[in-house]
Amino acid sequence: MPTPPQISPVEDQERHLHDASGVVKAQAFQMKRALDKSKLMDALKNASAMLAELRTSLLSPKAYYELYMAVTDELRHLEVYLLEEFHKGRKVTDLYELVQYAGNIVPRLYLLITVGLVYIKTNTALRRDLLKDLVEMCRGVQHPLRGLFLRNYLLQCTRNVLPDSAEEDGDCPEGTIKDSIDFVLMNFAEMNKLWVRMQHQGHSRERQHREKEREELRILVGTNLVRLSQLEFVTLEKYQKLVLPGILEQVVSCRDAIAQEYLMECIIQVFPDEFHIQTLTPFLKSCAELEAGVNVKNIVISLMERLASFSQRVEAIGTEGTASVLRDVKLFEVFSDQVASIIANRQYLPIEDMVSLQVALVNLALKCYPDRVDYIDKVMLNSVEIFQRMGVEHIESHSQVARELQKLLKIPLDHYNNILVILKLKHYAALIQHLDFTGRKSLSIYILYSALDDETIIPSSEEVEQALTLLSTLVSDKNDPPTTSLDMEELAEEQCLLARFIHHFKADNPDDQFLILTTSRKILAVGGPQKIRHTLPPLVFHAYQLAFRYKNSDDDKWDKKCQKIFQFCHQTIMALVKAELAELPLRLFLQGALAIDQIKFENHETVAYEFMSQAFSLYEDEISDSKAQLAAITLIVGTLEQISCFSEESSEPLRTQCALAASKLLKKPDQCRGVATCSHLFWSGKSQATNGQEAHNGKRVVECLKKGLRIAKQCMDNSVQVQLFVELLNHYIYFFEKGNDQVSIQILNQVIIKIKEELPNLETSEETEQITKHFNNTLDHLRVRLEMPETDGVSYEGLEI
Amino acid sequence: MSFFGFGQSAEIEIYLDGQETRKTAEVKTDDSKKERFLLYYDGETVSGKVNISLKKPGSKLEHQGIKIEFIGQIEMFYDRGNHHEFISLVKELARPGEMIANTSYPFEFSCVEKPFEVYTGTNVRLRYFLKVTIIRRLADIVKELDIAVHTLSTYTEMNNSIKMEVGIEDCLHIEFEYNKSKYHLKDVIVGKIYFLLVRIKIKHMEIAIIKKETTGQGPNTFTENETIAKYEIMDGAPVRGESIPIRVFLAGYDLTPTMRDINKKFSVKYFLNLVLMDTEDRRYFKQQEITLWRKGDKIRKSNAHSPSIMAGTQNLQNTAQLHQKSSENKENNDIINETDQSPEEGFAGVKDFLRAPNSESNDKLNSRDPFEEKTSSPSEEIEDSQIQNMTREAGDGQNDVSNDVAE
Repeated sequence: MPTPPQISPVEDQERHLHDASGVVKAQAFQMKRALDKSKLMDALKNASAMLAELRTSLLSPKAYYELYMAVTDELRHLEVYLLEEFHKGRKVTDLYELVQYAGNIVPRLYLLITVGLVYIKTNTALRRDLLKDLVEMCRGVQHPLRGLFLRNYLLQCTRNVLPDSAEEDGDCPEGTIKDSIDFVLMNFAEMNKLWVRMQHQGHSRERQHREKEREELRILVGTNLVRLSQLEFVTLEKYQKLVLPGILEQVVSCRDAIAQEYLMECIIQVFPDEFHIQTLTPFLKSCAELEAGVNVKNIVISLMERLASFSQRVEAIGTEGTASVLRDVKLFEVFSDQVASIIANRQYLPIEDMVSLQVALVNLALKCYPDRVDYIDKVMLNSVEIFQRMGVEHIESHSQVARELQKLLKIPLDHYNNILVILKLKHYAALIQHLDFTGRKSLSIYILYSALDDETIIPSSEEVEQALTLLSTLVSDKNDPPTTSLDMEELAEEQCLLARFIHHFKADNPDDQFLILTTSRKILAVGGPQKIRHTLPPLVFHAYQLAFRYKNSDDDKWDKKCQKIFQFCHQTIMALVKAELAELPLRLFLQGALAIDQIKFENHETVAYEFMSQAFSLYEDEISDSKAQLAAITLIVGTLEQISCFSEESSEPLRTQCALAASKLLKKPDQCRGVATCSHLFWSGKSQATNGQEAHNGKRVVECLKKGLRIAKQCMDNSVQVQLFVELLNHYIYFFEKGNDQVSIQILNQVIIKIKEELPNLETSEETEQITKHFNNTLDHLRVRLEMPETDGVSYEGLEI
Repeated sequence: MSFFGFGQSAEIEIYLDGQETRKTAEVKTDDSKKERFLLYYDGETVSGKVNISLKKPGSKLEHQGIKIEFIGQIEMFYDRGNHHEFISLVKELARPGEMIANTSYPFEFSCVEKPFEVYTGTNVRLRYFLKVTIIRRLADIVKELDIAVHTLSTYTEMNNSIKMEVGIEDCLHIEFEYNKSKYHLKDVIVGKIYFLLVRIKIKHMEIAIIKKETTGQGPNTFTENETIAKYEIMDGAPVRGESIPIRVFLAGYDLTPTMRDINKKFSVKYFLNLVLMDTEDRRYFKQQEITLWRKGDKIRKSNAHSPSIMAGTQNLQNTAQLHQKSSENKENNDIINETDQSPEEGFAGVKDFLRAPNSESNDKLNSRDPFEEKTSSPSEEIEDSQIQNMTREAGDGQNDVSNDVAE
């Protein structure tokens, strides 16, 4: 294989350029001197010698450009001289012919262009034919680099003389816009061919280098399009009929990815949006025909973005004409169809690019037609179809496709800030299914955050159902059980979000609300123990609230409905119990009992009793940790103390049960404290028997406290013992001050003495200090009461401190 | 001789009628200088006066007669002593006698036939001159005056374009077209090269105008080739489907009309040599004879402002498009045939044309290409069938003059 003259290495470039520039300077100097002496022939010879430097093959595009600039700068002197001479009427005959005697084609054509320009400027009647001639003659230079620069010179020279007038009937030697278009299009086509040809020259290992060089030269080709766009009489009609088809034909037929990508981008940037709007179909059709390596996505997207912002701009200004055009064009439909055909035609288009196109479509729809949710849905449907066609099931998260798809799914969310709109999209859920588990989950969380931030209320059971289906990765884990072990903390965080979301399920109508609750539970219940512990409680609380709403409503059947609600609650809580949870259902039961007590629907006592008893049985069966037991019993006691709806026969066993449970606690201090707490049941507990008043059963109170003392004495640890004594003393004082006649000053004194005896025996420690302080505070309180008794309070006479 | 008083005792001056206004033409003399002579055309009368002035007034000049001759002759440089006069007209100006005073003799060669144009080449020279001789006993007094003669032609008859498809098999196929086969000396050659197949790396392409001077006959034939002009018409490597315009202005070159078998002594022919040079400096060329002729000057007008200076480019576009269409068909053939292991059957016609030396190929060509029908002036037909291939040479590119195909 013959090797073409290689472009020399960088270090040589400067030398070659320097040498060439030297010659150019010298010849230019001679040329100008000859011009000063009006020796045109000599000047032309010098010019030709100067131009001969442009014949070099040794320079890189960059260096060649520098040389070209230097040479064309000097050529301008010649042009100015000739123009002056021509204007003075000193026409040099046959100049156009004369310069064509130059033996080498490159200098010849540069001179021809220069002289041709002078002819055109001085005699417009020659314009049309000269332009045609020049652009044709330039075919003689087939060397890509030299040809590109030659034609660039042609384009630069003619930029101000291109005919720019409307087309006329009949012969018009000055030329019309049609001639300008033909001229530039021809020059463009030839330049593009040369530019593309660069790719196929030289060794294949220099491909990258070549592509870089081509990159540097692309602006030369693009300038043709700029020139076209600057012509005033390139009207929409001309653009549609001549300019765009001409460009597109060349772009498509050149079959070069670099050229296609750049030129399509160029078309978009150079011509006004008003034109693009009217020529979408041919443009996008051509996009579908581009080479496999072309990033069609970027082209289409950039056009969509431009038009989207254009349509927004138009709307803002309110130009009537353009606005109506916009309406007529149906931007979205056109793009949607063409994108579909691009995707269909281009097998090599990566899926992520297909999705990106859909993203762009959504953006377009949102910007131009914010109220057309159906457009968004159409995109979603298209996307689903793409995935189905490509047989893509679960897209691995972190892949490019997944990222694009996430983007696609998030855009409507971010735009509407309303999950309800998203729920209206029929194909949204289907599209989500194409993400893998992790992807879906992260999207679900995103949806949740969005919904929570906007505090969107979900007002109907259908929507709740849809929403929960969307969030199915969080709701249930029966599909795609994650392979990695669960991160409990993360899970809790996610489920808390979901729980917060559940709080936003609010229907206007109580009946609907109930429907929401049952629907939600049906869906949420399958979530497994780790999830329902977070998701069911909000439902239960919703239900309690609903019961209150019924009570306050004028619904005839409110108590029946309430009963149903509590049945629902009961079932729900039992579901938690089944999930081997204890404290949570216990608390829910107690909370339920409190609610029932206040709502007082028919049969409420039984229901309340059931709730309490469930709480008790949970306490007995499920709670084994002694601390938890104490806490639970404290809660139960507190709840029971609040509830007033029980008849004596229900309340008595409950109270006794409490006391019993308290005394059966495992640790003595716990027993002591439990029993002491129970004492309050007998004092401030209420029941039907007492007509909802506090029971004030002093005797039982004292019994409890005495039992407490007894238990305290059994404690081995002195400091605990003393601590318990102090606490009991406080209980005594409380009841004493409440007026329990069974509590006497003597008892108080005894306890005080007992404490005083024991206190000094304690080892000094932080704990002891605390106990002492507690005790002293208590004594201080008593002292104050002793010295300044309250008017209607009990007397502390005889108290020994 | 004048020492003896016999010397040039008289001076002859030839005055031609209207010489102040008559046009002149530049003619190369044999020592390759250029001189301007008065210009005459075929059939024009050459008239004037011969003035003889005596050196010494009062003396007398004895002579055996005075005559003036009009001579057209061909000189071979290798045969100096032997001139071939194709015209020789004599007029007697004075009978033998004595001349006492300066005398002026009018003369006239009316309507002289001047069938050939003056020419000075490498080996041959054709000149016209007037010769005045004062015949003396010892030494004649002679005066010669050259005139220039231009032969004007009009080629109103068929002047077809030259169009031909040539190539190196599987390497290069081109079709070239020159708009005419006969050009006048101030004419413009307009044409194009259309590339049908390019598998070599072409560096540039030029058109050379070659003058071929043939002298002598039989075994003593001498041929001199001279490259009159080299004109680059393409820079860089074209690809298939490119159409390259040709436009060569002839006026600037030192050309003469084509001369065929002038008085059976010599011929001057012109060829257009299309030369392609590849990146390894191998040259591929194809010569094509063109006929040059001289056109009357008054017919030619200044063309500075006429579109004729841009002649030809408009037509090029059309032919290129035409070709694109036909080559599309060929491409189709290519694809089909590649699977058949018989590539490029689409060029079958060309192949035959390249190989077969008989007329059968011409028939094929004619039927294939309607354009070709018009081309066939008899002389070209012969050439076409003789040279089908482009010539490729591996030389250093300096010797394109010497390596020609003999015709």
